[in-house]
Amino acid sequence: MSDNAESPTENQKDDPSIQHTATEHTGASDEKKKIDVLLKAVGDTPIMKTKKWSVERGRTVQSLAQFISRFLKLEPSEQLFIYVNQSFAPSPDQEVGALFECFGSDGKLVLHYCKSQAWG
Amino acid sequence: MMAGERNPASCHLDERTFRLCCQLFLQHSETIQDGWSWEQIKGTDEGFIKKTVLIPVKASVLHKQHECSMQDENTVTDDIQANVEDETAGVQAVCEIHAVLRYEYHILYSCSYQIPVLYFRASTLDGRPLALEEVWSNVHPNYRQRLQQGPWDTLTQQEHPLLGQPFFMLHPCRTEEFMKPALDLAQAENKRVNYIVTWLSVVGPVVGLDVPLSYSTEVSAPD
Repeated sequence: MSDNAESPTENQKDDPSIQHTATEHTGASDEKKKIDVLLKAVGDTPIMKTKKWSVERGRTVQSLAQFISRFLKLEPSEQLFIYVNQSFAPSPDQEVGALFECFGSDGKLVLHYCKSQAWG
Repeated sequence: MMAGERNPASCHLDERTFRLCCQLFLQHSETIQDGWSWEQIKGTDEGFIKKTVLIPVKASVLHKQHECSMQDENTVTDDIQANVEDETAGVQAVCEIHAVLRYEYHILYSCSYQIPVLYFRASTLDGRPLALEEVWSNVHPNYRQRLQQGPWDTLTQQEHPLLGQPFFMLHPCRTEEFMKPALDLAQAENKRVNYIVTWLSVVGPVVGLDVPLSYSTEVSAPD
């Protein structure tokens, strides 16, 4: 599903713990450390061109939210909400690995994200 | 869909559904000993759910009360374990690093907004109530910047509607903003949610209240 060609400008060097699933050349040990995340936009929140990501288990929800916010170029005043299991907001300090254990299915964790309206 | 009418555009909750959601929420809290309880106001049929937690914080949060300019910021670590083991730190340093605050959270139903509202108060263990600035420094960094940029006061001091004592309140006007996506999403997937669980999972972490993941899977929506 994910495709390098779709997002040529993104700089992944800043986030080694989050990578395209397609570019993963992982050995067995890497696969255990990362989980597959599928990001789905809610409402009129911009859709990320790349939806499937490999994320280190230890990465926090807050860190992932920041990554998505940067990716979508959100204003500082805009808040990103992340939901798991459709209707539950995990704590910002929650590790994605724990979420995967609880809510993962078919080898991936589905996370919905939503941007709050900017003020004005 | 929850009991009671709700069209897709509305994120409101009627009082009966509020109570039912709370009941289901409390059942799970008891199961996992999460500490929530129902408080009934004597002589009325009004009530709310509440929980008290002890939160360890960095001394810098209470810097106004604990004057110790000698304490270097770099030596104050999040690793409480290390400080306990450091015998040479002395009692004074341990007391400053080990500040523990008592937070009491109340979830009330707001008739005017027709949604739940989170009230809380915070104090030191010796009973000193925290000031608003101190409470702000405990707001999770994930939210702090944005909440402080809001055109109105998100975190305000209010009189508790049922107890009449000063509490902090997370202003309910933003509720729709984060409830709507979750409710619409659930509706689209033909899934019923417990409003309190969804709502608390978002507002709780803002003010230091953790909502374990099991609430998401174990608490059902009211019929």
